[in-house]
Amino acid sequence: MTEITLEVNGVTKTLDVEPRRLLADVLRQEFDLSGVHIGCAHGACGCCTVHLDETPRLSCLTFAVQCDGSSIKTVEAMGGPSADHLLQQAFKSEHGLQCGYCTPGFIMTLAPFVDEAIASRRMPENDEIREAMSGNICRCTGYHGIVAAVRKAIGSGLGENA
Amino acid sequence: MKAEQPRHVGARIQRFEDIRLLSGLARYIDDIRLPNMLHLNFVRADIAHARIVGIDSSALADIGYPTWVFTGEHTAGLSMKAHQDYPEMQYSEQPLLAEGKVRFVGEPVAVVLAEDAYKAEDAAEHVMVEYDSLPVVGTMKQARDASLPPLFDGWTSNVIVQRQMKGGDLEAARTAAAHVIKRTYRTQRQAGVPMECRGVVAHYNPADRLLTVWSSTQMPHLVRTYIAEELNLPESRIRVVAPDVGGGFGIKGQVFGDEVLVAWLAMKTGRPVKWIEDRREHLVASLHARDHEHTLEAYVSADGRLLGLKADITVDNGAYSTFPFTAAGEPGMVGKVLPGPYDLKAYEATFRAVATNKCPIGTYRGVARPSAVFSQERLMDDIALELGMDPFELRLKNIVREFPYKNVLGFTYDEGSYAQSLEQMRGLLAKDIVDATASRASETTRIGVGFACFIEQTAHGTPDFTRRRVPIETGYIAARVEMSPDGEATIDLGLQNHGQGLETTMAQVAADALGILPENIYVRHGDTLTTPYSVGTWGSRGGPLGGGAVHIAATKLADKLRAIAAHLLQVKADQIELANGKASVRGNPGNHIEIRKLARAALRNVDQLPEGMTPGLEAHASLDGPRDGSYSNAVHAAVVEIDVTTGKMKLRRFVVVEDCGTILNPLVVDGQVRGGVVQGIGSAMFEHFIYDAECQPLTTNFADYLMPLAPEIPDIEVHHIETPTPLTPLGAKGLGEGGAIGPAAAIANAVANALGVGVISTPLNTNALWKLSQHIREAV
Ligand code: FES
Ligand code: FES
Repeated sequence: MTEITLEVNGVTKTLDVEPRRLLADVLRQEFDLSGVHIGCAHGACGCCTVHLDETPRLSCLTFAVQCDGSSIKTVEAMGGPSADHLLQQAFKSEHGLQCGYCTPGFIMTLAPFVDEAIASRRMPENDEIREAMSGNICRCTGYHGIVAAVRKAIGSGLGENA
Repeated sequence: MKAEQPRHVGARIQRFEDIRLLSGLARYIDDIRLPNMLHLNFVRADIAHARIVGIDSSALADIGYPTWVFTGEHTAGLSMKAHQDYPEMQYSEQPLLAEGKVRFVGEPVAVVLAEDAYKAEDAAEHVMVEYDSLPVVGTMKQARDASLPPLFDGWTSNVIVQRQMKGGDLEAARTAAAHVIKRTYRTQRQAGVPMECRGVVAHYNPADRLLTVWSSTQMPHLVRTYIAEELNLPESRIRVVAPDVGGGFGIKGQVFGDEVLVAWLAMKTGRPVKWIEDRREHLVASLHARDHEHTLEAYVSADGRLLGLKADITVDNGAYSTFPFTAAGEPGMVGKVLPGPYDLKAYEATFRAVATNKCPIGTYRGVARPSAVFSQERLMDDIALELGMDPFELRLKNIVREFPYKNVLGFTYDEGSYAQSLEQMRGLLAKDIVDATASRASETTRIGVGFACFIEQTAHGTPDFTRRRVPIETGYIAARVEMSPDGEATIDLGLQNHGQGLETTMAQVAADALGILPENIYVRHGDTLTTPYSVGTWGSRGGPLGGGAVHIAATKLADKLRAIAAHLLQVKADQIELANGKASVRGNPGNHIEIRKLARAALRNVDQLPEGMTPGLEAHASLDGPRDGSYSNAVHAAVVEIDVTTGKMKLRRFVVVEDCGTILNPLVVDGQVRGGVVQGIGSAMFEHFIYDAECQPLTTNFADYLMPLAPEIPDIEVHHIETPTPLTPLGAKGLGEGGAIGPAAAIANAVANALGVGVISTPLNTNALWKLSQHIREAV
């Protein structure tokens, strides 16, 4: 057992974990965050993406002990229980989700991409948007609605009414 | 019976379920955690065909924590039985845990339980199974080789079932034909891959003798019935709950042995038991799909009339028959649907399922039709080529135009837009066809245009299942609609929502009947304790039959509301209109009463009810499908660009013209179509579950089993034609599967067009395209 301290969605906890425990499992169980999903557990689907010190990271390929002292953010902290983050709302209006299983991973992967586009005041091409999500698999939507959601979120961030 | 003025049906309403799913508040199977729970890990066969010599778990004595081990000896006699009552079908059962023999890699041999999932996985590694290996049956050819021993004792061969279906005079068609075109087409084995794997949690409460089973399933009631029958328990004491389900696509539309097993273990150990499938288990041992070979022989007149079709269909079924659609389901479906949208007067199909040492085949989005349409529509292009006809012209010459149409096997097609959708697609592709022709001069880049025209039997009714004597037995959906004293409504629905948007669309349907807003209607589903018995969500029946049942039940409730309003407003019931939360007198909207007051009268202030009326506001309806189902139709088209120097293919466009009758919610319909199309693109270009000669699986993770990713997929263009069917209450036909049916055929036809070669198999990945474009490289 190793003692680690994690700040997760603004809450700091110190806990003893086995070195082999995955960050995904610790977030799901010790922090009770059901929005962290496991789709493959081998780093190939993006379902488990969270932010580790503000950078998207696959929590199925990360041991919790590697994150001692880090700050972690999961989908629960993006827009709260009403999902009112810009990108979450765009997923809703553009039908960027169906079963919702891949969705938290897509949100966590794409939110920094959306922020960056808004900060640089530029609407990316569809190809760039598709490339930005190339590490995430969605089996339901065919990606179409997700691309539209990213455009919509960036558009509203840029002050367009599109 | 139509809603008087649809107000919510047809509207592009954003989904109510989305907030739960987007915020992380959804609860999938792995989120079910119970006190004192045991975690299960399977010990699975790592060899494809063998006798079990012994199972040794003695090493667990020293592991340092408590474990429980169960093998086939403990579960002896418990099994999955999926038999179709055909006299020629050879009977097989899959024991919950292997008894004596294993028949595919991944078959469960033993289970280990421990108090922590990591520990259960460690402990399972300590269970040693000794095998005596047997020769494998690994291909269709080996399965049809009578000299190889059958997989099951008592079988005479490895052909599980072989049957025929026919209509018309094929001999006459052959004699009259100016052209006979014969081809063999092959579609590969693949996996279905919902992003959430499967999983089961079970808990037995001796206080009320209630067994609760949570399962990531599309059919909770059928799971309940199977468990009750297999474990000999009263069905009233079993509750099956499908929590949020992370995709199903038909893969979760079966009853699995592990659902029975986990339930049995919870009773046996007296503790809650949880099993969460991992991705490798899902890929090798849940369910596979497709794996067809079709030999077709078409008899065609000199001017391009399809006179007759002969088909020989083989499906590599793997080791076991699955419940409730069986090993006969997949090849039988091909036989049934091959006549397609064409006016064909003579037809004969021989279909068979063969057993091999592979994971069983079952239903996956489209069920047999992606393969059937691949063969049918490749054949149409091959015929067009042979006759020197334009592929649109050939199809338009043969397309069914008069409805209702009785096909060569006796199935009746309801009204559709077959010719119109072909014409519309031809217009949409005009420029691409010019580009494709121009690219023929290029030594490096070829453009191809291909399309596929198909129909899809949806929402089939009980007679369709009775004819096939298949253990699913029926296909009805039931709904109960209840209004509470505050005027809000609840729908308890026999469907299960795993992405289809039912919590929204069903509320839209009820809202139109009840005159209240969809957001004031709560749709509950997936729990046998609260929902009426139904077969679950599969077979493209949610919209037409689920929606239809909700419409009928809500209309019954609305009739009662109208009767109460008429009494209170002193008019006749047929003068009352329900809309915007009010019951008003037609032509005199000032004379009205709020619906919530009617609800209050029906449930609380019952003294206000008309004399003799019983209190309460609740109605039930169940709706079976039409005898032959209702036929959706579509044309799918692909425009491909192939780099003949590398074999790399890019999809320039993918276009859909589809007709699913009345559209309940365009947002949801477009999403279903596009999602299905991309799965179909997966079948066409990427996905291939591969076994080696010893039936060892080679594609056991997402690095080896490739699926479509966003950069490889173009925007999917969707165009609708709406031909409502008279056969369902709202005019809706099924649409959940259609998207996945056309892409393999459309893309293959585009490749054939681009490269000027015959395409006879999928997947059309870079390797395949490199080979198919060799003649162009050589000509340079
Ligand atoms: S679960 Fe982590 S990448 Fe798939
Ligand atoms: S919404 Fe189901 S996998 Fe993406």
